[in-house]
Amino acid sequence: MSDLHSHHDHSGAAEAVLAEELVLGHNSHIAVHASSFFIPAGKVTTVIGPNGSGKSTLLHAIAGLISPLSGSLRVLDAQPQTRREHISYVLQNTTVPVGTPITVAETVMMGRYPGLGLMRRPSKLDRARVSEAMEKLRITDLAKRHLGELSGGQRQRVYVAQGIAQDHDLLLLDEPLTGLDIGSAQTIDEIIHQEPEGGCTVILTTHDLDEARASDFVVLLAGRVIAAGPPAAVLTNEHLLTAYGLGGLHRSEDAEPTTDHHHHDHSDHDHQHGH
Amino acid sequence: MDWWIEPFTLGFEQRALIGGALAGLMSSIVGTWLVLRGMSFFGDAFVHGVVPGIAAAVVLEINPVIGAAVAALVMVLLIEVVNRQTSLTEDTGIGLLFVGMLALGVVIISRLSTFSGSLTTILFGDALGVTTNDLWAQGILALAIIIVTTALYRPLLALSFNRDKAELLGMRPKATHAALLILIAAAVIGSFQSVGTLLVFGLLVGPPAAAALLARTVPRMMLISAGIALVSVWLGLTLSYHLGTAGSATMALMPIIIFFLVLTIVRLRLVFAKRTAVERAEYV
Ligand SMILES: Nc1ncnc2c1ncn2[C@@H]1O[C@H](COP(=O)(O)OP(=O)(O)OP(=O)(O)O)[C@@H](O)[C@H]1O
Ligand SMILES: [Mg+2]
Repeated sequence: MSDLHSHHDHSGAAEAVLAEELVLGHNSHIAVHASSFFIPAGKVTTVIGPNGSGKSTLLHAIAGLISPLSGSLRVLDAQPQTRREHISYVLQNTTVPVGTPITVAETVMMGRYPGLGLMRRPSKLDRARVSEAMEKLRITDLAKRHLGELSGGQRQRVYVAQGIAQDHDLLLLDEPLTGLDIGSAQTIDEIIHQEPEGGCTVILTTHDLDEARASDFVVLLAGRVIAAGPPAAVLTNEHLLTAYGLGGLHRSEDAEPTTDHHHHDHSDHDHQHGH
Repeated sequence: MDWWIEPFTLGFEQRALIGGALAGLMSSIVGTWLVLRGMSFFGDAFVHGVVPGIAAAVVLEINPVIGAAVAALVMVLLIEVVNRQTSLTEDTGIGLLFVGMLALGVVIISRLSTFSGSLTTILFGDALGVTTNDLWAQGILALAIIIVTTALYRPLLALSFNRDKAELLGMRPKATHAALLILIAAAVIGSFQSVGTLLVFGLLVGPPAAAALLARTVPRMMLISAGIALVSVWLGLTLSYHLGTAGSATMALMPIIIFFLVLTIVRLRLVFAKRTAVERAEYV
């Protein structure tokens, strides 16, 4: 715990996200039980865990869409809500209301809205950022197509393009690789790993262990943070068994967080923090 | 050719045309967002929800526009209350108020000796009884609605896209939603005198729905929608003049007929396009 505090003090912000005894939920339903962890700045972090483990809930909280039920959450050294202009968040399978006449180019341009406000016309820079994002995601030829006329994977690429067209220091992506073919997944994967070159922090959720292993930092969730740290230290059999309750080796309660595990993981986590 | 212009040599027909056109313009432009956000049912309830306000205004002999505005406000507040205080969906709240407000309106009107006459005027409007002053008020309201709707284009588009995304982009979805409700109320209040509350709904939903079948962008949808509304008003008035039918009702019927016409044409074209695509594919 003291370790966390010392980190917090040299506010050159080695961490992009700092959570202490953070509890998250929807209304009265708790999705993430008290967890303390950090996520490093300028790195790629994957958040992994079973369905309903609280991955999207955590990203929502980091983006400032929901407030913590208790504990503290600091993002880029401030309250998440005050950091909106620095955060770009690609939501999990955003469903488009059928029949909304909106083109791919217009969807990507939405990423520029924070700077454009209500009335300002898109500048050269805005247009350049939009076409650059579309080129990166290989959707330039789809520019005039309707959002509703795309395949799920194509639409996913459009949403990622929208996310990177937006100005940001912190990029959040909720399952950006789910349901994509190998080529599309590789395209997005490359973009994710290029982001830190410009000093940007990336946090993505995934169900893919290999993707988690290829990242710099991993947060393992199952109704609370089971472990957080470098992939090799987090993705151990023991941790995965705790999170996923696989193999029938353990009793089913093991999927649920217990106080016992909690203490164990804390020491584990603090240890990795020292690295 | 004369057949189409003849009705409008009369002063009151001209005013009916201008009043209807203004009603059609504001309703169809605001209605575009109503249709895109899947809020047609809300629009329907809203339109009927203002009836008791107008009825009370008639009974109390005050300006019906004030009555309608008060009723609209009560309506929005009560829907919010049902929304927040219960786990019922917004639909249920709207449904309850829809029936309640309409019934209350009829109850109030039934106190009047000219019961059926007043009711007909409120529900179906009085297109041919519009005065020049009414037109000025309507024109100013229409202009305000068009300016505000244009200014809120980005927040409204982001909101139709996704509520969370709108929030993340700083497009304030809550305030935008509230603004849309006010715009709808303003369009209803500005239109009911010429086409009646029952038929404002036809202009609010009909033209945008038909335009949705044709347009590929929202601004285009608004333009087409406004065009359909204008044609509907002119066609409706001309037909009512020659056939001796009720002006407002004939006008309100037009967008619905146009919708089904457009639908048929779009479907037929699609079938044709599919056939050629298959034939072409077989050639290769
Ligand atoms: N809007 C909501 N209202 C109420 N409960 C919710 C809401 N969204 C999620 N939950 C609950 O919160 C818990 C965590 O959900 P969350 O969406 O964060 O899971 P996830 O890890 O992202 O799952 P997935 O892998 O399926 O995307 C779940 O138990 C879920 O049922
Ligand atoms: Mg999720």
